[in-house]
Amino acid sequence: MSVLLSVEQLTKRFDEELAVDNIGFEIGEGRCVALLGPNGAGKTTTIRMLTGLLQPTSGTIQFSGMKQGQDRREWIGYLPQTPAFYGWMTGREFLVYAGRLCGLSAKEAASRSNELLERVGIASAGKRKIGGYSGGMKQRLGLAQALIHRPRLLVLDEPVSALDPIGRREVMAMIGELKNETTVLFSTHVLHDAEELCDDILIMRRGQLSLAGSLATLREENREPVLSLEIEEDDHSRQWLAGWINKLPNGILATSETRGSVRLIAQDLETARRAVLKELTKSEVSLSKLEIGHSTLEDLFLKVVTAP
Amino acid sequence: MTKWLILFRKEWLEMIRSYKIVWLPISFIVLGASQPIATYFMPDILSSAGNMPEGAIISLPTPKPFEVLASSLQQFGVIGLLLIALSNMSALSLERSSGTAAMILVKPVSFVSFVTAKWAAILSLSMVSFLFGYSAAWYYTIALFDSVRWLEVLLSAMLFALWLGFVGTLALMFSSLIRSAAAAAFSALATAALLSIVSSTLPFKQVWNPGRLPTLAAGSLDTAQHINNSSLSVWLTAIVTAVAIAIALVIATGSMRSRPSDV
Repeated sequence: MSVLLSVEQLTKRFDEELAVDNIGFEIGEGRCVALLGPNGAGKTTTIRMLTGLLQPTSGTIQFSGMKQGQDRREWIGYLPQTPAFYGWMTGREFLVYAGRLCGLSAKEAASRSNELLERVGIASAGKRKIGGYSGGMKQRLGLAQALIHRPRLLVLDEPVSALDPIGRREVMAMIGELKNETTVLFSTHVLHDAEELCDDILIMRRGQLSLAGSLATLREENREPVLSLEIEEDDHSRQWLAGWINKLPNGILATSETRGSVRLIAQDLETARRAVLKELTKSEVSLSKLEIGHSTLEDLFLKVVTAP
Repeated sequence: MTKWLILFRKEWLEMIRSYKIVWLPISFIVLGASQPIATYFMPDILSSAGNMPEGAIISLPTPKPFEVLASSLQQFGVIGLLLIALSNMSALSLERSSGTAAMILVKPVSFVSFVTAKWAAILSLSMVSFLFGYSAAWYYTIALFDSVRWLEVLLSAMLFALWLGFVGTLALMFSSLIRSAAAAAFSALATAALLSIVSSTLPFKQVWNPGRLPTLAAGSLDTAQHINNSSLSVWLTAIVTAVAIAIALVIATGSMRSRPSDV
């Protein structure tokens, strides 16, 4: 895997607040990378520094293979969280304008605009004023304008968080197609989106990078046996659960619990399974579900972002 | 250069679609034409006003043609300046706060082009509007009073256009520094007012002061006054103003570079 972008010791300080604290990572050519983290973790600040909208306090951002003095923005296509347009332009006009500003010839910009309007599914609205577009259409147009100059790195800031479930699915599918053509970095606070599309994830928390790596490796390395237990909502069973959680046998740890269910992480699956089954029969609990499997990324994500 | 032209064309397209290309020239034409017409009909207007005592005789001296043109320059100096400041006041702050600056400035576009294309587009429309308005004033002055030599009119138009351009550039600069459009317009107008008051009240000659330009423009219409103004000092003022415009553009560019968007 060749490295496309490397970021070293990137820091951004706003007055007193350290928004991004000395982070470093690499993005491989052709990879799809998710920048994950709860709201306020510093994702957008990081992205804005990559795109040049914000000057870093310190640190370097380097594309490999870029000539000395070349403008980093030539290689980046960027879709901000809420894309803004000139309402008096038509969708097609904006694309042509964006294309020409990226250095395409008039002819090239025109044909590329038509192609992209078709591709993001707003070809019929291309001749209408952007002022009358819906949120979903603006998001699609935003994606199209980010792609106009065939960027080496496509940067998307929360591309689906403002969309309804249908729009969300469609945009996710589009990103899924795009990741075969170019390198993609997108930020999200929804783990599920990242899991669905990405090769690599970067998890940020309070301005720091808490976890980075390929999805497969992280999944493998952090795989722990998990028992997930659900009981009926009768008094006896609930009392049993509340009591039992406080005196769990050695080697079993409760991660999350709600009123009628608990997730248990076990050191050794076999011992844990025997212990739980024995306990369940002994106390005559009305069990509704017992699932035995492995920890998901969600467990890992929660562990990382909620760690003290 | 191609990118600069693309940005410039976009600004013109925006002015066409927002009808600025219609209302700005019309405002200037109305402003320019109204002064000679109002001056011409002033005795009639006063006598028909009705609140004059019986038997009062109004006798106003007929103003000289260059005086009429000079007083229309005064109109441009107040309302024209306001129009220019208002049309520039949110030029950069709006792009920034709406997020469109962030969309454009992540593309390989130079900050200098972004600012100067906008500046050139707005100022070119302002200049054309002023020339239309001043031509209207000149036309009605000739029609209703007497002719004024075109060379003097041209010289005064150039000096005054420089002053308008200076104030327009100030408004553009303040729009990059101040978030509020009204505050930007106010700052530009206040600076202009301050400079021109300083130039007319302080008892020494201020070659460096762009605030002299309106007075120089009006003075250049008067053949008798020409001689008092050495052309060297006029040139110096013009050069200082041009340098000040350049500095204002550098400041605006720097401000956009350090903070391309608000969000």
